[in-house]
Amino acid sequence: MAGSTIKTVYDIFQSMDYGPTSSSTATAQAWLEHQSGALGLFIDGRFVLPAGRQTCSVTDSSGGSVCTTVCATDEDVSLSVSSGASGFKAWSALPCHVRAKTLLRLVSGLQRYGQCLSELCDLAQSPSSFSALVRLLQYYSGWAQLRDTLLPDWTPRGLVAVVVSDDCSLYSLMLKALPALAMGNTVVVIPGVETAIPALLLAQLFVEAGLPAGVLNVVTGNVLSLASTVAQNPLTSYVTYSGNKNDGEKLCRATAGMGVPVSLSISLGATCPFIIFESADIDSAVDGVIETAFKKKRECQWLLCVQESVLDIVVARLKSRMAGMKSVPLQKEGDRRLVDAAVEEAQQQGATLIQPCAPSPSGASYPPTVLCGMAPSCPCVVTPPPGPLLPLLSFRSQTEGVTLGNHSPHGYAASLWTEDLTLALEAAKGLSVGSVWVNSHSVLDPSLPLSGHKESSNCTDGGKEGLFQFLRPSSSSPSLPRSSPTSLDYSRFGTATSAAIIPQGPDSSSCPRSYLQYVGGKQCKSESGSSVSVLAPDGAVLAYCPDAGRKDVRNAVEAAIKVQPGWMKRSPTDRAQSLFTLAKALEMKRRDLAASLHSQTGLSLEEVDKEVELSIAQLYDWAARCDKETGGILPVPQSGSALSIPEALGVVGVVLPDSSPLLSMVSLLVAAVAMGNAVVMVPSPKNPLPALEFIQVLQSSDIPAGVVNILTGGRDQLTQALANHSVIKAIWYWGSVEGCQYLQHTCASPLKNLWLHCLEEKDGGRVWSQPPPSLLEERWRRAVQWKSVWIPTA
Amino acid sequence: MSARNPGIPLDLEWVSKVRVNTQAVLKRAQQIPGRNKNKKQWQAAWLLRAVTCIDLTTLAGDDTPGNVHRLCMKASQPVRADLLQSMDMHDKGLTTAAVCVYPSRVADAVKTLKAANSRLPVASVATGFPAGQTPLKTRLEEVRLAVQDGAAEIDIVINRTLALTGQWEGSDFIKTSTGKEPVNATYPVAIVMVRAIRDYFLRTGHKVGFKPAGGIRTAKESLVWLTLMKEELGDEWLRPHLFRLGASSLLADIERQIYHYVTGHYAAYHEMPMA
Repeated sequence: MAGSTIKTVYDIFQSMDYGPTSSSTATAQAWLEHQSGALGLFIDGRFVLPAGRQTCSVTDSSGGSVCTTVCATDEDVSLSVSSGASGFKAWSALPCHVRAKTLLRLVSGLQRYGQCLSELCDLAQSPSSFSALVRLLQYYSGWAQLRDTLLPDWTPRGLVAVVVSDDCSLYSLMLKALPALAMGNTVVVIPGVETAIPALLLAQLFVEAGLPAGVLNVVTGNVLSLASTVAQNPLTSYVTYSGNKNDGEKLCRATAGMGVPVSLSISLGATCPFIIFESADIDSAVDGVIETAFKKKRECQWLLCVQESVLDIVVARLKSRMAGMKSVPLQKEGDRRLVDAAVEEAQQQGATLIQPCAPSPSGASYPPTVLCGMAPSCPCVVTPPPGPLLPLLSFRSQTEGVTLGNHSPHGYAASLWTEDLTLALEAAKGLSVGSVWVNSHSVLDPSLPLSGHKESSNCTDGGKEGLFQFLRPSSSSPSLPRSSPTSLDYSRFGTATSAAIIPQGPDSSSCPRSYLQYVGGKQCKSESGSSVSVLAPDGAVLAYCPDAGRKDVRNAVEAAIKVQPGWMKRSPTDRAQSLFTLAKALEMKRRDLAASLHSQTGLSLEEVDKEVELSIAQLYDWAARCDKETGGILPVPQSGSALSIPEALGVVGVVLPDSSPLLSMVSLLVAAVAMGNAVVMVPSPKNPLPALEFIQVLQSSDIPAGVVNILTGGRDQLTQALANHSVIKAIWYWGSVEGCQYLQHTCASPLKNLWLHCLEEKDGGRVWSQPPPSLLEERWRRAVQWKSVWIPTA
Repeated sequence: MSARNPGIPLDLEWVSKVRVNTQAVLKRAQQIPGRNKNKKQWQAAWLLRAVTCIDLTTLAGDDTPGNVHRLCMKASQPVRADLLQSMDMHDKGLTTAAVCVYPSRVADAVKTLKAANSRLPVASVATGFPAGQTPLKTRLEEVRLAVQDGAAEIDIVINRTLALTGQWEGSDFIKTSTGKEPVNATYPVAIVMVRAIRDYFLRTGHKVGFKPAGGIRTAKESLVWLTLMKEELGDEWLRPHLFRLGASSLLADIERQIYHYVTGHYAAYHEMPMA
């Protein structure tokens, strides 16, 4: 420290500055030297350093090289995947308690080598909390122990690829890898630049703790190309990603059509509101701002929203607390230019700045800066610039505070500050984000489900809820068969027009009926006015139904989004009552439905009666479930109350299968609607009549108009229209391989939750007629997103 | 002491609007020690700063002119001269902030300090210390007498009956407690108090000082207190005119830490001149 030798005791006595912090990296250096400064890939339980590979240099904060990592080739990936697949046989066959014990043994390994790990994290500029890692291990060791007891009928998926972007933290990586392992999967980790070194060390410690070879492999290199190579391998069952949005989208596009489910947690870069109400402990709230908003490396971009009545008080405190703060190093070359431009632009728009000191004329650092007087339309709010800049917005009423906080495509988290209990809970309920931190911020614990709403994720990490992405119902095979992407022209998918109906000539014997579709509680024709013919099993024209397109989807979504918030807010018991009326209405009209099923499918009267009966049973079943499937209060290490709350997704698009046309429609409709969603249903083009007949049932029930909408027409056309509507949060799809590929590619942005199935069903519709409990559970889990609310109390 | 706080009319609406979130304050209190990672000369300098903020105190029933004399002499030369010399701090007039005694001992202290040519102020606890449960008349008389004897600063025990029933008084300094309670100066309570100081400053422009007292015994704790003040109120509250540490045995521990910094050895207590 050159600076510290110049400062005398008297200088410091006068200035009362803090001294420089120095941290040793000796242990980490020793380990790296032991590895000859060149880290290999971790495959099949050991480090391998294949010859002739390109290497990548990991640098520390001063730009010096820490060590090199290997850029894995396709050959290396293939080795790691086959190692993982054979490791799966051994690992999944172990009894639960053995897996649990292995995870626990790593805790002692970590305690032994914790110093080395944290120094490595510091070197790789990915600081991570040692105690948080220990907590993760202990938590998931518990789940490993209890899997068979608490999650019977579920089975691990197989080999899971855990992919994180270069800037992602070790915690986010482990929040994926550990539950995967705990549930009995094997894992290929594809770490980013910042997590590569610690991930490799952890893999080594894991093997020392007794993890069988092949259960955890780590391959380093270009994240996106490695991830798609791993995904392409038919031995890979699932790909899960955490990190920035950009790379996540690219990953989805690159792997579309491979027949492997991919889910994203956009854990980085979300804009999150930090809402200070007038009833807050203002000093503590400001303290929270200071602590989280100006960090060199921050997970989210905070947006400070302050109630007008306390705006001056907050600003005064910010000024006084920020007074001594030092400039913050910027992350990337060229950031300074962006920061300067953003600040200048904000000032031109009338922003006033709170800064502890003037920025140095040039250089790669910038003082913490609050931009006061911003509005949601300002560029620095819409697309936040890098650097320690915090836009400040004001709001008038409590309701407006929540509205302001919600007005963003992101739904990762929010911090809200108030001492008013009612307000806290109401605001927590009203914010469409995955994590609400009341009078606190950035609280992460593996027991809290982390499920970003809107564009922030399409899966849930953490908690019991987060385990299901690594499991599938034991009774069913994966719904998405492996495939190779076809050269699909994404811009032309679903644009073909349906075959026109032409006059068939005089034939008095048949006079096919024209059905109407169902939008916003009204029967209607398609916007285009055209129809398609529906054929009977013998090939004769049975009926005509509307040929819906984009505009019909638009109308249906408009109707759905109008009524869905109210439907969701109704109490579960109230929703249950509505579903009972639906069940009763179907009982009344069972003959009509049976007749329609019979003429559509040609099945025997006995068989169609049974399908109607099962459909009625499904309605009763879900009416009963409405107020039974709930969240709970979570035990967390800190003192306070943690709630996990299942919430409706919003509007769900359902593209229905050909088989069991009534039962499949009713089963999916009621699962979505029971949990508070609205649906836009697309019946199978082959067998649409039972669904259209069901409109009569819907109309005589007291399900509010718009909650269920039914559109008929070309499957691809309507799938394309659903995929391109941002309001739709989830698509449940039964259809072609190409349809699945199209959805995976298109629904990466705006992000949607996809539940994809290819048509060929091997079990003859048993999933509909005799769904096992785990499948029913999967349906309701698919119908909700989770919100965790953390309220610290003494 | 800072400029006097003239006070403002009691505004109970202001008081009633104050919100404190216990968990947030506790969390803050836990973080404060971690903010200060000072080592070597940084730590030594901070420790010397702590010395200048100490109200070196004796408040015992058996106080006599003798031990008050020792206390005053220690207060005016709190760190061994050879240690100061080696840090080049010997000529900086380093003393504690004040000595603090019972009213009856004020005259003794003033006499000793005058004889030693020291301008160190004498502080006195007064007003029925430590309970404050004496009549207003005698409380005021006690203050008058202490001032007459030469006390420059008075630590008043407010009548907590009045405080608990919402009838507050104003002051230049606020103090965590008398030091005679089972629980005295804790960081969470201090955070709430210094935030009230900030609030008052932002509204009126008057700076009120802060004095934690009771149970502060180690050098490490004194550094946490300084850190707390720096973090919450800024550098101005790191000087004796706005910050005091009420303590009796703290100084000895600080002196030992300074000894360690200078010599690299850990000192026995008897190596430090006693107070």
